[in-house]
Amino acid sequence: MVPKKSPAVVTSVNDFTVLPLRVPGLPSYPKDTTHYLYLRPNAPKAPTADTPREVFLVNVPIDTTDVHLRSLFADQLGGARIESVAFEGARVGKGITSPVAPVRKKRKRGQEDGEGAAPAEVGQLPEVWDRDTHCSGGTAIVTFVDKPSAELALREARRAVKSGKQITWGEGVDGKVPALGLSRYAAHHKLRHPSHHALQESIDAYMTTFAAQEAARAKTLARQRAEPDEDGFITVVRGGRSDPAREDAVRLKEEELKKRQEKMIGEGFYKFQHRERKKREAQALVGQFEMDRRRVEEMRKRRGG
Amino acid sequence: MAPSNAKRRKLEHVSSEDDDDDSFAGFSGSEEDSSETAQTSVTAESVGQNLAQGLGLDDGGIDEEPAENFGYSVHHEQAIFCASREKQALANGAAMTAQPKQIPVANKISCARSYESEKSKSGLFKLQVDDMLERVRPRQGKREAAAEAALHRLKQTIEQIAPRPAQSVADAERVLLKEKIVIPFPDPRPSKDVLYKLEYAKPANITVVGSHVLKVASAVRPLLQIDMVVQMPSQLLQSKDYLNYRFFYKRAYYLACVAAALSGAHGEEYSVSYSSMHDDALLPVIQVRPSISPSGVADKPAKANAWQIDIALSTADDVFSAEKLGMSKNCVRNNDEQTKAQDSATPLYNSSLRTCMLMKPYLVLQHKAASSCAAYRDACLMGGLWLDSRRLGSSISRGGFGNFEWGIVVALLLRGGGPNGKALLGPGYSSYQLFKATLQLLALQDLRKKPLVVGEAKLTLESSGSPVIWDAERSHNILYKMADWSYQALQSTAKRTLEALGDQRFDAFDSTFTTSVSSRLLDYDCLIELDHATLAKSATADRETSSPLLNDLYAMLRRGLGDRVEEADLHVPPTPDWSIGVARPMQSTGAVTVGLRVNQEHAHRLVDHGPSADNKTEAAAFRAFWGDKAELRRFKDGSILESLVWATEEAGQSVIEQICRHLLQKHFGAKVEGSVRFFDDDCSRLMRKANGNANFQPLMEAYKQLETDIRGLDALPLSIRQIMSADAQLRFSSIEAPSSTHGIKQSIPAAVNLQFEGSSRWPDDLVAVQRTKLAFLLKLSELMNDNVEEVKSRMGLENHGEDVLNQGFLDVTYNNGAAFRLRIHHEREQGMLERQMKLKDLDPKTKQISAIALASYKRDFVKGPAHTQAIAQLATRFPVFSGTVRLIKKWFASHLLSNHIPDDIIELFVARSFIQPYPWSVPSSMQTGFLRTLAWLAKWDWREEPLVVDMSGSGELKDVDYQAIRTRFEAWRKLDPALNRLVLFAASHVDHDGTTWTDGQPSKVVAGRMTALANAAMQAVEAHSIDLNPASLFVSPLEDYDFVLHLSPVAFRSRKKSSKGPVFKNLEVQTQADTSLVGFQPAQDFLAELQNLYGAAIVFFSGGAERKVIAGLWSPLTAPRAWKVNLQYATLPMKTDAEVLAEIDKQSILKEIARLGGNVVESVQINR
Repeated sequence: MVPKKSPAVVTSVNDFTVLPLRVPGLPSYPKDTTHYLYLRPNAPKAPTADTPREVFLVNVPIDTTDVHLRSLFADQLGGARIESVAFEGARVGKGITSPVAPVRKKRKRGQEDGEGAAPAEVGQLPEVWDRDTHCSGGTAIVTFVDKPSAELALREARRAVKSGKQITWGEGVDGKVPALGLSRYAAHHKLRHPSHHALQESIDAYMTTFAAQEAARAKTLARQRAEPDEDGFITVVRGGRSDPAREDAVRLKEEELKKRQEKMIGEGFYKFQHRERKKREAQALVGQFEMDRRRVEEMRKRRGG
Repeated sequence: MAPSNAKRRKLEHVSSEDDDDDSFAGFSGSEEDSSETAQTSVTAESVGQNLAQGLGLDDGGIDEEPAENFGYSVHHEQAIFCASREKQALANGAAMTAQPKQIPVANKISCARSYESEKSKSGLFKLQVDDMLERVRPRQGKREAAAEAALHRLKQTIEQIAPRPAQSVADAERVLLKEKIVIPFPDPRPSKDVLYKLEYAKPANITVVGSHVLKVASAVRPLLQIDMVVQMPSQLLQSKDYLNYRFFYKRAYYLACVAAALSGAHGEEYSVSYSSMHDDALLPVIQVRPSISPSGVADKPAKANAWQIDIALSTADDVFSAEKLGMSKNCVRNNDEQTKAQDSATPLYNSSLRTCMLMKPYLVLQHKAASSCAAYRDACLMGGLWLDSRRLGSSISRGGFGNFEWGIVVALLLRGGGPNGKALLGPGYSSYQLFKATLQLLALQDLRKKPLVVGEAKLTLESSGSPVIWDAERSHNILYKMADWSYQALQSTAKRTLEALGDQRFDAFDSTFTTSVSSRLLDYDCLIELDHATLAKSATADRETSSPLLNDLYAMLRRGLGDRVEEADLHVPPTPDWSIGVARPMQSTGAVTVGLRVNQEHAHRLVDHGPSADNKTEAAAFRAFWGDKAELRRFKDGSILESLVWATEEAGQSVIEQICRHLLQKHFGAKVEGSVRFFDDDCSRLMRKANGNANFQPLMEAYKQLETDIRGLDALPLSIRQIMSADAQLRFSSIEAPSSTHGIKQSIPAAVNLQFEGSSRWPDDLVAVQRTKLAFLLKLSELMNDNVEEVKSRMGLENHGEDVLNQGFLDVTYNNGAAFRLRIHHEREQGMLERQMKLKDLDPKTKQISAIALASYKRDFVKGPAHTQAIAQLATRFPVFSGTVRLIKKWFASHLLSNHIPDDIIELFVARSFIQPYPWSVPSSMQTGFLRTLAWLAKWDWREEPLVVDMSGSGELKDVDYQAIRTRFEAWRKLDPALNRLVLFAASHVDHDGTTWTDGQPSKVVAGRMTALANAAMQAVEAHSIDLNPASLFVSPLEDYDFVLHLSPVAFRSRKKSSKGPVFKNLEVQTQADTSLVGFQPAQDFLAELQNLYGAAIVFFSGGAERKVIAGLWSPLTAPRAWKVNLQYATLPMKTDAEVLAEIDKQSILKEIARLGGNVVESVQINR
């Protein structure tokens, strides 16, 4: 595993520019290595007004922060200025989510009514990391201040590739971002035990908004129950909630009823019951026997094979 | 020797499958028919006569023998010698009965009924046994043919031996010595001045006896053993020959003559040597084996050559009076008149002699049994397999109870042995019934105290302390070779088998017939090895009891160890065969092994109380036995007792070892003591603070305190319904015992669940429920801090970003160091999640998160606490359970599997070893528990077998549940045949799902590695046996992995500081005392983050704090492929001819990991 600048590495793939980044050695891994960052103008299926000044990055290092990218473009690639960076969200299973420009997440059940902000926006729990990481091989969208900046950045990147200029990853970010390693985990440990006061506030905010939302929803539902729609039908919607204690009682009642019914027609009261029972037993016996035989057969096969 | 033997047996098992089944079936069918026809259709006498003449046998003994007997013996001789002819003649007529495979549909019900009936344990068991019997029934193969050809030739040679005239002992020896043959006289050899002469005359007849001719020898045995008996003509013997070894001397001479002829005639093709029959030094036999061809075709140890013929000598059964050879008679007289009166009984000598007289009668007995009882042969085969798997055999070194004895006992029980002289077994019994009834006899009746007499006993039997099954008709004790210890071993293994067979829910087939119980390390808690030669030298030889030396040793150990030991067993090395040029085998080599099953309750007691000082005689005996170790002590209650005080075990030697060493030195001398080697629960020494549950007691008490404290809070908005523990530390099974001594805080808080009474005021929204739980915890924290002294509590967050999962916990730390992590269990979450998952218009992502949330809800709040309770109960039920679990967990951790195999399922593995211990008993030491669990892991076929453990001890898991679990398992296998999602299926009485702990992990690769590692461990155990270094089982090379991250000790905040500890002692105490660091595990956080970031490309292996590394393997899914945007790992764009390939950028990834880890990672080791 000698870090070699393999001639086989291409300078561009599809319409991506392949930008080699030198990663300096560390005490635990002293060798220099090269990381390849892929860039191209952003081209989403549904372009927005901001699309022209966005650059799409693939294979960003896991510890990338916007400070890293700002410093990369400003200090080492011609000085293009960045407005914002959006990293790819967490992947779930095989589904892949395209990165989206940073919009505050909407609560699914949240409703855009006159009640003000949705609960998710006010009642967020405190952050537990001082610095996020991203999945290996992930993507990011960098939004520059204007279109020329974006173009400049790409041009500079291409030129750097062509000239073989050495670009170092993480240069000039020391001190501007929280350190990795043990101190980050210590910070995480600290953050995940937030002050009770802050936590209480966050929860109170959430619960207040949630209550307001519930009330609004109840009102809408009540309205729906009362008013026919344009076809003259009244929508049937769930009314108030039932008490869990009451739910339990209902279940118990049902079970008791079932038991009583069973008792009423006892086992073996009618002749057909007896006959059917016999039949069931015989069937079970045969089924069991067949199953056992299959199992033994399988065992034999396994031993043989 | 032993392990390799066992392995070969296994191989044989497999290879025998290759044999053509049809041809074998055809053979056995016709053979059966041939014998059946002969026995039923023609009267025995006439056939006997005809065949005898036809074969040209010597008629010498015919007239004296009952015609019936003769008919049988000759018939079977004929069956062997003329097998091929018979086969030809009868093959056409032999109609095969319908095989069980082709049962007509109409018959199925009755067929199923018969399988389910009383005659067998269960349908499955019966089918398995039938299948097994089909495989092991003797068949006609190459080696049988070769052996039978040899039989013919040997017989011819023996018949043609010229008689030798009567000579004096000295002359006879001289003549034979010229032929380079030595007479194998037993010890003591005849004195020079004896008057009687030695003579050879033509044998009365030559017969084949034993399991081969009876067709009860298992075909899968590695060695085909055939017993040929040459009957010495009666005219050579005189009526007084039974005295003072005379018969044995004559027999030895006769044997030497036969050996001389055989080695002369067949010396080239066969190797001829002496051996002793069943290790009985009085009865040398000739062993004929195919000689290894000098051309050195060693690579083909041809199966055809795996046979051996033992030629034994017999006599007519009436040459000596049976009464004179009774068990209480003396047959070795002292010439000295004065000591004559002291002549003690010589039961072993007498029985050895009787054995020679009874060879043919016993063959007849077995034949009669086989013809009168259809299942007799199968019962013998089953018994043989059972004995084989337990390494029991007819020879003294293997216990003295083998195939032959089994067969005789069953045959005798078919004729008597029951109350009022009635037969204990009926001819209509099934083979399983015969098998089980015989086991019952062996297990339940103490034959030492109450001998079993079959038939009318002419003499009264006084119990002599050794086991007796007295065959009155033939005046013989079947168990004469068994010593006290081997009888006990047989009895206890029979008992355990019966238990297994009685357990309706346990598939006892494997444990009864196929699991090899061979490795002694698995069998005994403590092994003691003594050098046999040294032991033999330490005492004088006196050949009456089989080995008085061993008797003394056994008695001494039993007396010395007392109630510390439940069972003790002695194993002597077998007598090797020896050249016909030497009179006696070489000085026995090898070691005497003593195996002990320990009673943990008493084993570690440091003070033994002896008799009171007032009791003079007993005190003297006590002193004589213990020597200077005995001390007179006054105890608290005022009594003055002889007593023994042992050193504490921390000094290095367990009490048992100290006792054994002391006694050996005292009674057998320093040399023996010096040669002794111990393996006494050595595995448990790997564990710090291994002793039982005591280490967990402080935490358990703190937990009780927590419970009272919480229940004592009266200002809670809802009342508490339940407080449940759900943590390995609270079920006695975490690797490191939680030590929370003064001020030092427990590093990992123990999880506890809190459930409130139901209320209608909980919100109806999953996210809001989680927030409400946080609010409750905040309230609880406030109340705790206000109302309870000496406690600190702190909120913590978890599952960040997954807002339907549990969001937070409350860490409660007591000032004495105990720490708990409280979570709230809200029972309606499950219903809400299930409802949400049923919604049709749900997007896949939410659905998946709901599924994850549901699984984690069930695991953490439902199954977890129930499992914890069940395991904690087991730990109190079985004293060594906790230690075993911790040892096994340590094993998994040392092999870097602990992040893949969840704790809970490891506990189930161990629970299985305690609840279904068969074929062993419940482990009585950590070592046996550990090794047996590994042995099971090594052979657990997780692809086909679910693990189901009923830990309740009261049979909570019903048959229906077993069925349901099995059905669920099969459904999973059908759903996911490639085992991508579920690999190990483990259910228990608290978890019928079987997937709670193992859904998604471990993967197939990891489970395969687990099995491979367990296999390697078992091989090491087999190979090294007593020389095993237990620590070696816990080491696996790091070179197996693609790369290894060596972590810095700071990542573990470990308490066991290295040698430079004292320098920072004050700092250390400070950090440990800091409540804010409770639960801080940087190494765990690092690993979790790595798995999150690189889960798609790398499989990580970690052993927690046991091994300070994280190892990784590149996933095969990261092979080079066409370049695209959404690959889940860092790539290199590589140019090929046609396209650009994306190759995984290993260096960059490792560099990223190093960067992420910072000072947590000390160095990165790249192997590939």
